[in-house]
Amino acid sequence: MTSRAPGSSPKHSPRAATVRRRGGGAPALFLAPFLLLFAAVMLVPIGYAVYLSLFTEHSSGLGFGGTETVFTGFGNYARALGDAAYRAGFLTIIQYCLLYLPVMLGLSLLVALLLDSALARAKRFFQLALFLPHAVPGIIAALIWTYLYTPGISPVVEALNSAGAHLDLLGHPVPAVVNMAVWEWTGYNMVIFYAALQAIPREVLEAALMDGAGPLRTALSVKVPLIRASVTMVAMFTVIGSLQLFTEPMVLYRNAPAVVSSWTPNMYAYTAAFDHNDYGLAAASSVLLALAAAALSFVVTRATRGRSERRAEATA
Amino acid sequence: MSTTPTTARPRRAHLAAAATAGVLALSLVAACGSGSSGDTGASSGPVTITFWGWAKGTQDVVNAFNASHQDVHVDFQQIPSGVAGGYAKISDAAKAHNAPDLFNVEYAALPDFVSQGAVQDITKLVPASLKDKYLPQAVELTTLAKKSWGLPLDAAPQALFYRKDLFAQAGITTPPKTWDEYRADAQKLKQAVPNTRIGTFLPDDPSTLEALAWQNDAHWFTGIGDTWSVDINSPETKRVTDYWQQLIADDLVRVQPSFSQQWTASLQKGETAGYVGAAWGGGVLKSTLASSPDAAGKWAVAPIPTWDGKPASGMLGGTTFAVSKDSKKAQAAVEFATWATTTPEGIQARIASGTSSLFPADPDLVPTAKAAFKTDFYGGQDIYSVFVDAAKAIRPDWQWGPAMSVTNNAMKDAFSKLTSGGTVGAAVDASQQATLAELRNRGLKVSR
Repeated sequence: MTSRAPGSSPKHSPRAATVRRRGGGAPALFLAPFLLLFAAVMLVPIGYAVYLSLFTEHSSGLGFGGTETVFTGFGNYARALGDAAYRAGFLTIIQYCLLYLPVMLGLSLLVALLLDSALARAKRFFQLALFLPHAVPGIIAALIWTYLYTPGISPVVEALNSAGAHLDLLGHPVPAVVNMAVWEWTGYNMVIFYAALQAIPREVLEAALMDGAGPLRTALSVKVPLIRASVTMVAMFTVIGSLQLFTEPMVLYRNAPAVVSSWTPNMYAYTAAFDHNDYGLAAASSVLLALAAAALSFVVTRATRGRSERRAEATA
Repeated sequence: MSTTPTTARPRRAHLAAAATAGVLALSLVAACGSGSSGDTGASSGPVTITFWGWAKGTQDVVNAFNASHQDVHVDFQQIPSGVAGGYAKISDAAKAHNAPDLFNVEYAALPDFVSQGAVQDITKLVPASLKDKYLPQAVELTTLAKKSWGLPLDAAPQALFYRKDLFAQAGITTPPKTWDEYRADAQKLKQAVPNTRIGTFLPDDPSTLEALAWQNDAHWFTGIGDTWSVDINSPETKRVTDYWQQLIADDLVRVQPSFSQQWTASLQKGETAGYVGAAWGGGVLKSTLASSPDAAGKWAVAPIPTWDGKPASGMLGGTTFAVSKDSKKAQAAVEFATWATTTPEGIQARIASGTSSLFPADPDLVPTAKAAFKTDFYGGQDIYSVFVDAAKAIRPDWQWGPAMSVTNNAMKDAFSKLTSGGTVGAAVDASQQATLAELRNRGLKVSR
């Protein structure tokens, strides 16, 4: 993620200019596979989804004479937005983010700082061990966690019960899903933070040491502010990813009655398409979700760019 | 990282946004592309039909058919059960015009498939002589708008499965005949064996509640002329929901999803001593508990309790064979479906697989089914005689609605609030509202 060094583009520009002079054949050839795939798996499906979202199926009488497809304009969008269940899905996402973001960011930052500190031993081992959960496919992880949550079969719940504590995670799906996500993503984001920490110029840290800052002070007042950009970026990707929440709750859905069929916006779209055969509504709710994600990324990018530009000016 | 140029970031964000949209759209399209065409029928030689199903023992039935028939060859594909994704697969395939010639669909889902236009009208291929073979209640459910849309495989009369030893421990010598007795026995059982409950309320599965409402003479859907009358939260239904709500509130039954690990574990440990199910449950319960050998021989089957002590039953589940709209081999498909549902060979092959205890929709085949089912799990009890009486007591004139997936999902979603102040009664109210809204949205006429 951090490998695309921006400073390299000016260095290559003379060669790029040569290619341009030689004609458009070669670049077009190299770009074609990407553009073809991009069109086939991105543009066409998006266009088709938008198209589907404008139609609905109608029957007459008792409905046993088959259906006809009719144009409804933004009717499906109005239905999705007017459905309390769809709006509740966004509420779920907000609750999820409020719990998930601080816990996951805090943990991965803490672990990265610990690994970066002079005291850490066996850094490679811990890095690998912490990253390992991310290598487990999400659906497998969700299945295993569901098993661990289920009273009557889970050794964890049983141990807690015998210790007098009663844990009902199946009845509280938000913390249940947050726990799965934290387990899966903490190590991954730790790697990003750790890489950013490693890139901090050593002289800055030496200066902090000279000024008499202890390890804790260095971490909080020097290191964390210096990697704020990565923290923001991870937070942004996490929020956008959270909008897509699907796999974990879908696995829980079959086992935890507290998870409803429209628990997240993605599940709402899934249920509309594959349970209710209402492709128009499913497409409309997906498009709305995509728009929400796009708007969110735009706002966050704007906000963070403004801040880092200001900082760049200040340091210049 | 802190040196990342400011220009790279927005581009990445746009990419992320685009990817977001792309993945969403993709997930829809990818799922539509599943399925297979399988148009291998040749002009000479046997006609090959494709068939999707999931009912227990189906592979054995197909094998037996293929071995004994020269004119038709069945190419069977096992799909996930309807609610576990099978129905989505079938309707997507139907939309993409590559559905199999024949597929299994439960009675409750048949109207939904018919109104989607996924099912072929087979009225001309179903003579009166064939119809007469099936239980009239089953024929009723496959006849919509006076046309035949499927052949019934089984009737699913309700039954009560219970652990004899645990009931005996609580001093219960005969299984409950009425719902009042069921409640009293639930209390006795909880008193005698504090960790054990008499049964389970299945919050993921409205079909049990539907069968119980049906048993109490509710009529959720009635087609009058070209208008649907929807009466889900009727007084008959409310009597049932209030009763179960009280059982839940008094902690006399468990609230666990059907066939979940939780439910299975609870049955295995003897923490749940009963199951309000249907005839097919005999085979399913047996195979679900196959890994706990000490359960064998301790289970028994009793008639489903009723409100007034007189036999009455709804139908819990039950499967039909439907021919897909686009199939050009309807005749061959009906030939196989007829064989599978009305011949001793067809039923014998299914039951002998050991996992099915379905109650044939053709009552003449009950002796065949009875002879083929090994009842050692039930201590040698003649479980089919219980089912025979229950089948006679299935109330007529029940009709399933044209949007049962919406009806059921609304109910399931409302059941999720059972642990946080919601009630079973509120769930049927929610279902009534959601169903009315859906039918209106589809352009159907509804009256309340």
